[in-house]
Amino acid sequence: MVSTIQNTDVKQKEADRAVVVAVTSRAVFDCGADDGDEVCEVGVAFPLLQALQRVNERLLEENPSESLLFDVVLITSDSQQQQQSSRIISSTRHHGLEISSFCFSSEEDFTESLLKNNVHLFLTTDRDEAAQASQKGVFSALLNGKVASSEQLRVVFCGDAVIRTDAEPPSASQDAAQSFWAQLGEMRRRFGMLDSPLSLVLLTSRGGRESCGTALQTLRSRGVNMDEAYSLAGAPRSPILSLLRPHFLLINHLQD
Amino acid sequence: MSGQVKGLKVGPSSNGDSRGSWEEKEDQDNVGLATKPKPVTGRRTRKVEGGVFFPKPENAVTVAVSSRVLFRTEREQKVFEQDGVEEYLRFQIEHENEPFTPGPAFPFVKALEAVNCRLRELYPQSEELFDIVLVTYNHAHVGIRLINTINHHNLFIERFCMTGGSSPIGYLKAWQTNLYLSADADKVREALSEGIAAATMFTSEKVTEVSESQLRVAFDGDAVLFSDESERIFKAHGLDKFFEHERDNEDTLLDHGPLKGFLEALGKLQKKFYAKGQRLDCPIRTYLVTARSAASSGIRALKTLRAWGLEIDEALFLAGAPKGPMLEKIRPHIYFDDQMFHVEGAAEMGTVAAHVPYGIAQKHNAKQNSSVRK
Repeated sequence: MVSTIQNTDVKQKEADRAVVVAVTSRAVFDCGADDGDEVCEVGVAFPLLQALQRVNERLLEENPSESLLFDVVLITSDSQQQQQSSRIISSTRHHGLEISSFCFSSEEDFTESLLKNNVHLFLTTDRDEAAQASQKGVFSALLNGKVASSEQLRVVFCGDAVIRTDAEPPSASQDAAQSFWAQLGEMRRRFGMLDSPLSLVLLTSRGGRESCGTALQTLRSRGVNMDEAYSLAGAPRSPILSLLRPHFLLINHLQD
Repeated sequence: MSGQVKGLKVGPSSNGDSRGSWEEKEDQDNVGLATKPKPVTGRRTRKVEGGVFFPKPENAVTVAVSSRVLFRTEREQKVFEQDGVEEYLRFQIEHENEPFTPGPAFPFVKALEAVNCRLRELYPQSEELFDIVLVTYNHAHVGIRLINTINHHNLFIERFCMTGGSSPIGYLKAWQTNLYLSADADKVREALSEGIAAATMFTSEKVTEVSESQLRVAFDGDAVLFSDESERIFKAHGLDKFFEHERDNEDTLLDHGPLKGFLEALGKLQKKFYAKGQRLDCPIRTYLVTARSAASSGIRALKTLRAWGLEIDEALFLAGAPKGPMLEKIRPHIYFDDQMFHVEGAAEMGTVAAHVPYGIAQKHNAKQNSSVRK
């Protein structure tokens, strides 16, 4: 059973223009034991939500009637958290989070709730959840479990994924991925080179400079201009990733 | 579509416990990525592409170069300084198919590649090679032009970091960089303070021809291979005191300087050639070019090198004579010195000299340093 509650404190976004990002409530709030009406502690996704909010603020500064905004939806699928739905809603209010709606579903139905809410990107710290969602055609990514900065939204694209998408007939989730990238690219273009609230980073792990170059060109042809680019050519990824401090990493394998 | 990805643990769905760290288990990302399955048996030691593989950073001698020293980008620099970053990037994209011309580090990088060819012939499976990484704080918008340029000049550079304005220093460490060359003295100083051998390079109009088959690297002694302790004595108390101090401390080793590690790395590669009977034909040759004199102060330098187990092919003690003519004879691909006076002197005669902004000499303006000794 899936139910959606709109957050009346927050102005709802235009359905066909907004970039709907769903995040699991488990990642946003750490509700711990049932403490009655106590406000929940913030979870690992909190800096991400703040960064998304900052992007929205800056987009509206550039153009007060901007409709290409992030629309954040909170998904709660485990029964433990479901019992704390009122705490989740009140915590959202307390922390001033710009969450437009809350979706409650059972564990079996959570992908259904994602599809129903027209989610463009689903973020979770749980690899299995992400894999499950992408199997159903929802573009998913893993949240950076380590606390990332809330000042600039940093998105890392794994370039190896970009090239593959072109070589094979696109599946539903790959289409979702492409349209998400295009939306991000468009958002990025609203800002100049310096002082942008979001930064797009390309990382190619395998292959040499040609792979990276092709990825840069492919993305550019789709209107996505990268700020930073790293070609690892087989070198270990973790040292570089910990320097990049992304909020989330877009890898293709979750879509297979 | 395939079922659950192999190898992933099924986590319980409670608060954060099933968090799969996406930074670890890099090989697991391979599953499903390629059309044929790759074994998830642990880190592969070799990534093969076109018959040549990319060494692991800890095994290779990593040389990081910035785009401004590998290539000549003065015209673009001017656009950046006069018209700002947006115009600069527009200009770069407009000229994307125009390769940059070689910069001061170019012959050095070509020579590193020549050494790699020889190493691969002798040790086809070894990862002990030079690995050249382009580390620039250019935006990725310049990426395609840089890649086109690398292609045009047939350079073997597969790894790069375009940081889009952030400091490259962290990345130098992540790449386990053995030597960093940049046009930006501040970045070089920062690298040195982090314990990474680094030097500032300059573009010069006069460049003499250098060997394409033998890499030649020349080092100054004090404050480059060795610490600046003796130089401090000289600066504070003069030449006589310096000589006295060196004589009294002849058997005390000098402390190491910022480029010692790089000389060591070169020595290790040289030994690989010696092991295959190629001492006379070794494609790496190292030089010490110091103002110390052979009969006196030079002895301490040699003893120190010997104690460190470092061989240097030629030690040239100039006893204060100018370095330019000697360097012109040697024709090194790069010469490291801590004093701008010598760097400029070398450049005037066509030698590619790099400044190591380390030690007591940095407190003195290059022009003021016109004394006989160094």
